[in-house]
Amino acid sequence: MSESVALNPNSAWTGGKSPFGVSYGKLMMWVFLLSDAFTFSSLLVTYGCNRYLSGGSEIKWPHPDQVFNHFPGIHGVDMLGPGSGLPLLFVSLMTFILIFSSVTMVLAVEAGSRKHRNDVAFYMFLTIIGGIAFLSCQAWEWTQFIQGSHEGSKFLVNGEKIYGANLFLNEYGPAAFAGLFFIVTGFHGFHVLSGVVLNVIIYVNVIKGTYDKRGHYEMIEKVGLYWHFVDLVWVFVFTFFYLI
Amino acid sequence: MEHTDNTEHTEHHEGHGISKKAIWRTFGILSFLTVVDFAIFFNMDGTMSRNMIFVALGIIKSYYIVGIFMHMNYEVKRLAGIILLPFGFILGLIAALLYEGDRWSVIKWFVE
Repeated sequence: MSESVALNPNSAWTGGKSPFGVSYGKLMMWVFLLSDAFTFSSLLVTYGCNRYLSGGSEIKWPHPDQVFNHFPGIHGVDMLGPGSGLPLLFVSLMTFILIFSSVTMVLAVEAGSRKHRNDVAFYMFLTIIGGIAFLSCQAWEWTQFIQGSHEGSKFLVNGEKIYGANLFLNEYGPAAFAGLFFIVTGFHGFHVLSGVVLNVIIYVNVIKGTYDKRGHYEMIEKVGLYWHFVDLVWVFVFTFFYLI
Repeated sequence: MEHTDNTEHTEHHEGHGISKKAIWRTFGILSFLTVVDFAIFFNMDGTMSRNMIFVALGIIKSYYIVGIFMHMNYEVKRLAGIILLPFGFILGLIAALLYEGDRWSVIKWFVE
């Protein structure tokens, strides 16, 4: 009874070990990404429900390939028959830009595991450029969407045609079409923007040698998780808004 | 502060196994799947089965992004579980809510 039981030094109860095998920071980044996935899921469900709900109304939900058929600098080219434009070409470019920036991000993480500062800096720089390119493309897409077309809406509201789009009315279809487009792509774009800001901060730290001093490049992995999440969300936003 | 730094350092694995070759190979797979997306979009009519194919392709892409780019395949299984199991529930919820949305459109028409 008076004996004390020595703790096995390898036991998990002696502390200093994460049950998940990763550091606190990385685990919390994963948990944050899970919560963000919930938020985006709820937005996409809202999109689905609104689209189903508009099935019976007079103003029909438009086909995405008839709305998103522009490409900067190319006019008058029709891919699938007269008036069809270049459907989904620009958004496929945006998807490739984001996937490629994800690849450069993983390459930065891989260089970090080799503690190769110059490679990390080079790939982080490419990732930042990719992010800025994506945001520029998205800004152009929004401008096109807001300006609208020459012909205006195919339906009348209060006896008048609508031109362009805003959060209340749009020339393409029901109000929810433009509203959801702005909210969901805008929320995603906000994530890309914050990702670019984080990447710039980490890039500066890489150049300064902060991670060499620290002894590990784990921060690159953490910020990489965030960037890949942004890419993953884009895969689904692009599927739901442009393909389905 | 000291303890946290220690923990971070001991927990950090030194680049387990992801080679540049694997990274570029995954990029190739993701690009190919995106091209398949577009091929199906332009060559198939807009039905529910086509939508299901798009969602399935999205899930396959997620496997590669989460598993390889985000390193999940190399992590402890418990970590994968704690992230993917709740999201599995969310997927069920999404399916249920979309089904409900379809029903609501019927009820809305009926009421109006």
